[in-house]
Amino acid sequence: MTPPRHPARSRRRGPDASGARIWTWFMLPGTLWMAAFLIASLALVAVLTVGTTDELGNPRFGFDLAGVRALADPAYTEVLARSLGYALLTCVICLLIAYPVAYTIALYGGRWKHALIAAIVVPFFANYLVRMYGWSVVLSDDGPLLRALRAVGLADEGTKILNTGFGVIAGLVYGFVVFMIIPLYAALERLDVSLIEAGRDLYGGPVRTFLFVTLPATRQGAAAGLVLVFLPAMGDFVSAQLMGGPDQIMIGNLIQDKFFQGQNWPLGSALTMLLMLVLLVGMLGYLRRTRKDEAEARR
Amino acid sequence: MTQLSPTTTTAPAPDRPVERTRTRRGRAGRRPRVLVAVTALFFALLYLPIAVVTLFSFNSQKSLTVFDGFSLRWYRAFVHDDVLISSLGTSLRISLVATAGSVVLGGALALGLVRSRTRLGSLAGLIMLVPLITPEIVTGVASMLLFKGLGVTLSTGTVMLSEITFSLSYVTVILRSRVAALNPEVEEAAMDLGATRWQAVRLVTLPALLPAVLASAVLIFALVFDDFVLAYFTTGVDPQPLSVRIYSAIRFGVQPTINAVGTLMLAGSIGLIALALFIPRLFGRRGGLDILSGS
Amino acid sequence: MDATHAVRLDGVSKRFADSYAVHDLNLDIEAGRFFSLLGPSGCGKTTSLRMIGGFTDPTEGSVLLAGEDVTALPPDKRNVNTVFQSYALFDHLSIADNVAFGLKRKGVQKAEIRRRVGEMLELVQLDGFAARRPRTLSGGQRQRVALARALVNRPAVLLLDEPLAALDLKLRRQMQVELKQIQREVGITFVFVTHDQDEALTMSDRICVMNEGRVEQCGTPEDVYEHPASRFVASFMGTSNLMTGTYRDGTVTLDQGPALPVGPRTAIADGTAVSVSVRPEKVWLSDFEPGMSMQRGVIRETVYSGPTTTYLIELAPGVTLSVLEQNTARARMEDRWSGGETVEFGWRPEHCLVLA
Repeated sequence: MTPPRHPARSRRRGPDASGARIWTWFMLPGTLWMAAFLIASLALVAVLTVGTTDELGNPRFGFDLAGVRALADPAYTEVLARSLGYALLTCVICLLIAYPVAYTIALYGGRWKHALIAAIVVPFFANYLVRMYGWSVVLSDDGPLLRALRAVGLADEGTKILNTGFGVIAGLVYGFVVFMIIPLYAALERLDVSLIEAGRDLYGGPVRTFLFVTLPATRQGAAAGLVLVFLPAMGDFVSAQLMGGPDQIMIGNLIQDKFFQGQNWPLGSALTMLLMLVLLVGMLGYLRRTRKDEAEARR
Repeated sequence: MTQLSPTTTTAPAPDRPVERTRTRRGRAGRRPRVLVAVTALFFALLYLPIAVVTLFSFNSQKSLTVFDGFSLRWYRAFVHDDVLISSLGTSLRISLVATAGSVVLGGALALGLVRSRTRLGSLAGLIMLVPLITPEIVTGVASMLLFKGLGVTLSTGTVMLSEITFSLSYVTVILRSRVAALNPEVEEAAMDLGATRWQAVRLVTLPALLPAVLASAVLIFALVFDDFVLAYFTTGVDPQPLSVRIYSAIRFGVQPTINAVGTLMLAGSIGLIALALFIPRLFGRRGGLDILSGS
Repeated sequence: MDATHAVRLDGVSKRFADSYAVHDLNLDIEAGRFFSLLGPSGCGKTTSLRMIGGFTDPTEGSVLLAGEDVTALPPDKRNVNTVFQSYALFDHLSIADNVAFGLKRKGVQKAEIRRRVGEMLELVQLDGFAARRPRTLSGGQRQRVALARALVNRPAVLLLDEPLAALDLKLRRQMQVELKQIQREVGITFVFVTHDQDEALTMSDRICVMNEGRVEQCGTPEDVYEHPASRFVASFMGTSNLMTGTYRDGTVTLDQGPALPVGPRTAIADGTAVSVSVRPEKVWLSDFEPGMSMQRGVIRETVYSGPTTTYLIELAPGVTLSVLEQNTARARMEDRWSGGETVEFGWRPEHCLVLA
């Protein structure tokens, strides 16, 4: 006696299916929250790009391209170009600083390396504002850095850091260099020392070994670091405010200004969307790069 | 976004003494002096601003360039500054609410994201990444516009809502990797032994996640307390969070009181973040920096 | 309904995306048996086990436990327990609490729980470990905790998913014996999944060999080993010398090489392409008996491995047989063959298996 067959079993919900439903319930509140507060608000920025503001400063919806058209004003394109320049320079300087630091800690840190990397990471996650404020004091005309430089003859009375483009970049580097150190350190930590030894064996010199073995192996870490630094640097407005003067403002300062002082919200929204666009291009470039790397690695 | 897993500290494996001596000495022989010098200079510059703020918070004079002698006058000034003290209370309230809200929502979301293989899951997973690749100024502008658009008056409440939104993705990313690292067979074992799906989560999964949940809660508390961009865009006029007060103060000329407040905030958040790193060890788990890797 | 069947899979299939992990599986597992599902990784054995446990839904077909259809029941409503490959111990609970977990869920009284947990820890030789945490135990001890945690519930069927895979060889051998003893002692039906044919042979009352989602053969260990039903089973269970040829009139003429007598087969038509298999240990190198199928070949390699010596003998160009000789007390070093020598060897005709 065999039990009857049920060829159409597949429709029936078994224990598996009912189990899957519970996870949807877990996800629902958080997802709805994000949809309501994040996605809706970002969409609102996009919508307001073509909207207007009433005399009380409240957003009004409509279709007015004034905000978008204003972006073509050379005053704004100049700020955008400067922001891009500052952010990219910040990326390069961060890479140049972070690489030797991450390399030294990862390869020569020994048993102290966890403590050393924590000593970098922990203060970086502490209050950004206070750190930047402290940094501006260090960089100030009477600050310890310039006084030290003057003492050894590397600077004279006229040398300034604050209120220059260099000051703004110094601020951005100080603010975000940790985002370069973390991925580089992770990549260097993963690096098999025997690879370096094999490199010494095959190529001989430490410089060639570094160029042909270490550097390619950490390229992805560096790429991740570049993106992680570029994103916040591009959107920052504190550094330009504390370290720069009126000629060093960045797109973040413009946005802040349009929303708080200028009360030109459509233009502020348009600037915000422009910023997002630049970052999106950067992200997509990074993703394409890593996809290509992964595809090559698989081959 | 970046994986920091190699930096986690595992209990030292009692194997291969050769390996160990090598690690002690450094992995690739002698340390080049130049690299060590660069690293030392980096550490010096990293801590110099913190040291300067701390030092001058104890200055007996107003100067930021000359240290005249040790005094607690700026701390006393802070304690007696009603505006700053009420801002401190506001910040603490915001941090508490945002931490509780984001840990509950984010924890559930992380569990769902890892376990569910529905389309909603992959969509939610993508949405979670948006705040992490969006500069805070954009999130801040967007939140402010949303509240204004809805006709909501900006207040401490609106700061709380925005901070939850931002922290939510942070918590989710941290806990998601922890949930993914859990052995799914453990939950199945609980069900095999007679627990329902929900009991399995409650009796087995949540206890296993407890260290990570506590650690991320402490971390989020510190991050929200320190955050000023979101708070700046979404706060009302009064009361304002402490970080927004500090921002106004350092923009419009230096007040030495800010050194004292800043020192306290730095000490507080460094302590909390260090605690977040240390919590998993209290439970005998691997602790480490990977809790920060979601940044 | 036949109640002696502890587990019955009736036309069970599991499809993932567009491929079948398990295809039309029909299984009857008798109560009180040590039953093994054996096969290479990806053959569907673990999926089958998970469908019995209730962790995976069958796409088609039904799962019956003691005659009752449980296909739609979640794991907590099935009278089976599982020993997971990873052991899946609860790290935040003590050993005693791990073992007590199932009984607490069932609402068994406290005193009773304490008694049964104590008994069970004694059975798996872990008395004295009750207050320890799983993390502090060795792999073998954790394995015992997993076993105790499942058995303490007195399930009708115990499912074991490669429980010994993570143990080192010596410990694995020891646990194999212990597991078999425990099974006899408690009399519970064991369904044991493994990819290790030695393990399946030593422990099981019955073995089902699976491949690519289908059952290749079910039977006693002797059946499956001595009379493999397919090429796959012959090659998966131990070592086989597999050769291809054409059947005609009670002999198989190898594609390259001599004709081998295999006895008349009514089931096979003349001219059919078949495989033949001879186990290495069924080949004789001396003291031949009358009626043996005798061959001649050249020793190509001699591999000494302690209790046995393996010879690779070239029977014909491209056809090399592996032959196993026991290094018994009577065997002498100088009697061993060395490379290049031509030797005579043979086997009983019934040991030359024809596989369609």
